[in-house]
Amino acid sequence: MKLAKYIKPYWFFALLSPLCMLGEVLIDLFQPKLMSTIVNDGVLGNNMSLILTTGLTMLGLVILGGISGASASGFASAASQNFGNDLRKDVFSKVMSLSFQQTDKFTTGSLVTRLTNDVTMVQDFVAQALRMFIRAPITFVGGIVMALSLNVNFGIVLICALPIQLAILAFLLWKASPMFSIVQKKLDKVNSVMQENVTGARTVKSFRREEYEKGRFGAANDDLVNTNMKVQKLLSSISPMLMIVMNLSIIAIIYIGGFQTEARNMQAGDVMAAVTYITQILMSLMMVGMMFQSISRARASAARILEVLNTEPVIQSGEYRNNNTKCSVELKNVSFSYPGHTGTPTLDGVDFTVQSGERVAILGATGSGKTSLVNLIPRFYDCTDGEVLFNGTNVKEYDLNDLRSKIGFALQKSELFTGTIADNIRWGLPDATDEEVVAAAKIAQADDFITSFGDGYNTVIGEKGSSLSGGQKQRLSIARAIIKKPAVLIFDDSCSALDLGTESRLQKALAENFTDTAVITIAQRIASVMNADRIYVLENGKIAACGTHEELLRNSKIYADIYDSQMKSNKKGGEING
Amino acid sequence: MAEPNNRPNISPAQFRGGPGGPMGRPGGPGGPRGPRGMPLVVEKPKDARKTIGRLLKYIGKNKYLLISMLVIVIFSSALTLLAPTLQGEAIDAITITEQKLSVDFKRLMLLLVALLVVYLSSSLLTYIQMRISIKLSQSTVHTMRADLFAKLEHLPIKYFDTHKHGDIMSRMTNDVENISNTVSTSISSLFSGALTITGCLVVMLIRSPLLTLVSLVTIPLTILVSTKLSKFMRKLFIKQQALLGSLNGHIEENVTGYKTLAAFSREQECNKEFANISNELKSCGVKANAIGGVMGPLMNVIGNLNFLLIAAFGGYLAFNGLITVGIIQAFLSYSKQFTRPINELAHQYAAILTAIAGADRVFAVMDNPPEADEGTTSLDIDNLRGDLSFKDVVFSYKEGEPVLKGFNLEVKGGQKIAIVGATGAGKTTVVNLLTRFYDIDSGSISLDGVDITDIPKDQLRKCISIVLQDTILFSGTIAENIRYGKLDASDEDIARAAAISNSDVFIEKLPDGYNSLLSESGGNLSQGQRQLLSIARAALADPKILILDEATSSVDTRTEMHIQNAMIELMKGRTSLIIAHRLSTIRDADKIIVIDGGVIVEEGGHEELLAKKGRYYSLYQSQFAGIAT
Repeated sequence: MKLAKYIKPYWFFALLSPLCMLGEVLIDLFQPKLMSTIVNDGVLGNNMSLILTTGLTMLGLVILGGISGASASGFASAASQNFGNDLRKDVFSKVMSLSFQQTDKFTTGSLVTRLTNDVTMVQDFVAQALRMFIRAPITFVGGIVMALSLNVNFGIVLICALPIQLAILAFLLWKASPMFSIVQKKLDKVNSVMQENVTGARTVKSFRREEYEKGRFGAANDDLVNTNMKVQKLLSSISPMLMIVMNLSIIAIIYIGGFQTEARNMQAGDVMAAVTYITQILMSLMMVGMMFQSISRARASAARILEVLNTEPVIQSGEYRNNNTKCSVELKNVSFSYPGHTGTPTLDGVDFTVQSGERVAILGATGSGKTSLVNLIPRFYDCTDGEVLFNGTNVKEYDLNDLRSKIGFALQKSELFTGTIADNIRWGLPDATDEEVVAAAKIAQADDFITSFGDGYNTVIGEKGSSLSGGQKQRLSIARAIIKKPAVLIFDDSCSALDLGTESRLQKALAENFTDTAVITIAQRIASVMNADRIYVLENGKIAACGTHEELLRNSKIYADIYDSQMKSNKKGGEING
Repeated sequence: MAEPNNRPNISPAQFRGGPGGPMGRPGGPGGPRGPRGMPLVVEKPKDARKTIGRLLKYIGKNKYLLISMLVIVIFSSALTLLAPTLQGEAIDAITITEQKLSVDFKRLMLLLVALLVVYLSSSLLTYIQMRISIKLSQSTVHTMRADLFAKLEHLPIKYFDTHKHGDIMSRMTNDVENISNTVSTSISSLFSGALTITGCLVVMLIRSPLLTLVSLVTIPLTILVSTKLSKFMRKLFIKQQALLGSLNGHIEENVTGYKTLAAFSREQECNKEFANISNELKSCGVKANAIGGVMGPLMNVIGNLNFLLIAAFGGYLAFNGLITVGIIQAFLSYSKQFTRPINELAHQYAAILTAIAGADRVFAVMDNPPEADEGTTSLDIDNLRGDLSFKDVVFSYKEGEPVLKGFNLEVKGGQKIAIVGATGAGKTTVVNLLTRFYDIDSGSISLDGVDITDIPKDQLRKCISIVLQDTILFSGTIAENIRYGKLDASDEDIARAAAISNSDVFIEKLPDGYNSLLSESGGNLSQGQRQLLSIARAALADPKILILDEATSSVDTRTEMHIQNAMIELMKGRTSLIIAHRLSTIRDADKIIVIDGGVIVEEGGHEELLAKKGRYYSLYQSQFAGIAT
């Protein structure tokens, strides 16, 4: 298994564990002999001092065995937990390095399952394996050797019985192992429905779909439980079937033993011993069965983990870095379609440029490709045709971190994270001082409402920012974007919940503080864009027009339409001035 | 996926103080904190017996399964005892002694056949018993999961606003899964264990009360060790499950917020935070499992001590002629029988404790009071007027910091009301209260003269449709998402609803049209398109009261113009509450109310308010300021 390399750093624990286990097994093997000494020679022979000395020796040995057993499981747990921990961290950082289209494909629910449940499965397997790998083979081989040494004829029984058992084991596991991955898939589904309901609780409640959702969850739950039941049922036949074969062997051995004693080849006591050994072999086989069961279970989980680990990010970082603080952006004849999307491309032959110090705006209908356009700049997606140049260099050649560190992005959807308000603003610049945080908040027009909170900047934000209003969230995400004083600032409709007064104050503050920055603003309101140096009008993925407010008013029918759609209603108010 | 807003000015104290509840508020005073100062939800170790009792009650729901399993365990235990006896007799049969010079094959065959029957039926019983225990454990977790989900569906919104979503999910999967594993393996061994112990005890008492007393000497030791150890360990296992939950929370939060993460190149920090939680989980796990591994050997030592005590004390008694050697021999084998189930359980100890810790977390969710829904006054929904009345409404998310302070509003049925005010003024709070996502502190809200707390929530919400700013769509097709508004809607209904919101234009352009699958993060739809879909969904629901909370904030103004006529049509005959920043959206309202500082500062028509040159006028001017300059 490819995951084996994760156990390597802990080979010491992984080695110590079976070694300690060896100690325990040996003492376990020795203990019955001491017990029988106590019974046969001590109690039956009425020898008190023998009872005490042997007893104390036994107790001492058991304590010793206990210590090595406990250390064996301690080491096993150290090895397996460290293994799981490293694996989990690697998978998580892999997830973090994937491109949007890829995380989208996996879905959140499934990624959560893979990172917790699947990793735990593999980890448990490692722990179990370390504890059993020594125990099972020793008892197995030891049992066979001992039974054979008693009488070679018993070998015939074993030769008949063992292949049958192995065949049963192999068959059932072969049947069961593909089902394990199905079980995990069903678990994903349960997780996904759950996640949708937890995040969408307001929507579910307002449409009174509690019963409907219960039905939807019930179906996923049924599905999971039924599949689980199928696997378990299959597996539950393993041990009774192994038992039957083994018990038949026992009967056969007693039967053969009858002839052997009749022929004076051996004594009844030997037959009894043989039965004990056969039982031991059975037990170790059961252990092997369990081991294989967890192997196939772990294999299913490992495959799911590997699927993530083996996914190469579609968007690979380049190597180019530069120290420019002034940056320009240029899109040359860029086309773009979302992966898997057929039909008309989202962007079609777009030319777009913004220089340092310029303020550029993008306007366009819902679904015209505004967000897609700006998403190409920090390489959230790669364009399908044409090129995106950052300071004259193709973004694909840039070191991804360097590229993104030069861009401040306030997303359409303000996602806030666990922590305080200051923590969230500091996202943009982890080592920002308190003054810098406050300064950014002031520019973003957020300082007023933040200081109105009892705890100010240390106010803890509710789950996913639930304690803030839409406009407050937007202003925090703007503060977060501007704190690092990026060379390029992108506002993706991130002022939609702000009233115009606040927005114009924000724009003024931006103009004063970011003179060298290239600013790209996506907006719906003419008022938000009319002061821009250049306005791009997007229509069905193409640049329909480009120019200043005045130029567009004269030359662009679409722009004039948009203008009218907003101004007419105001004019009706009779209050327009000029 | 951020949920909107239990609006504004909630200071963190809301999440800090507050009645503790069984959940251990995040960041509760003195509560342990995870990495990044993140509050770690650790359930206080509750009375383990209580938890086990509740767990057993769950398992007991399948009475027949449980009883039949018990019966089978009794039989199979008897068979397990019978087999060695027959085996012994068979060995005797082939034993050659001075008195018995040849093997009695007739008897041997008879015994072997009997043995065969016993073995076969024992295997069969084991098989049946395993099947039953699988069924038992699976149906237990099935019910548990269903109950937990049903509970979640009825928890107040506040719960979701104050708990990490990933942690809630972890309870549903990881914790429940742990319970399932333990139930399937431990219940039957508990049964047969208890059976064997009682059986042994009875036989021992009959044969020698004195020696029985001796062999019971170690029982207090067993109890002492296991309770001492478990007290210590339980904390670790509870912490382990809590950390797993918090890990889940971290993953869920960062995967859903992945776009922001990437935009800020926060992957490194995020990995570090993950590593911190993961490391802590690891060290907690190593500790817990290492100590858990001590339990088995410890019990083994105690068992052997017991063996020795019996041998020594029995030997002493026999020496004094008080008991026979045979009895000692018998007692020694009993003592082995006696300690076997205890050892077995001790080996499963870590798993059992994990399950109990998981059960604690599951029950903690179930113990939360559901949304208050005590209303009994039935509404005549078909003939509803849609009158709304807010009287002296006071509401605060956090005690002592009211968001609404004596809010009064009268709305006649069919009126179109626009609510304006600066962000954070409390506009969405009005919506939260009307739908009873949150309940008011004092005052009253009534619908058609009936206090909304007297109306069953299901009926109340049936009258109201809200379109939220942050659109929530579910996985599935576009048609399924629109149909969410009315489950029995025909395809024509859906197309009509889509036409009202103008979403038919883009839907029809998609290759699969209404059957296009929405991807989870909605990558294939723009934010504005998602908003249009949720308007279609609300339109299909055909409510008496329509609430649009910034419903078109991401929709361009031309599209908005397109849908305006349809929207006016849609609002006809309905009471509508509109929260918006665009004056174009609110200009035509019958009444505009301006909220500031938790009260209505102005209300009236557009012209009227403009003429007043008050707050609305200045808001309106500020809108123009952007255009004028």
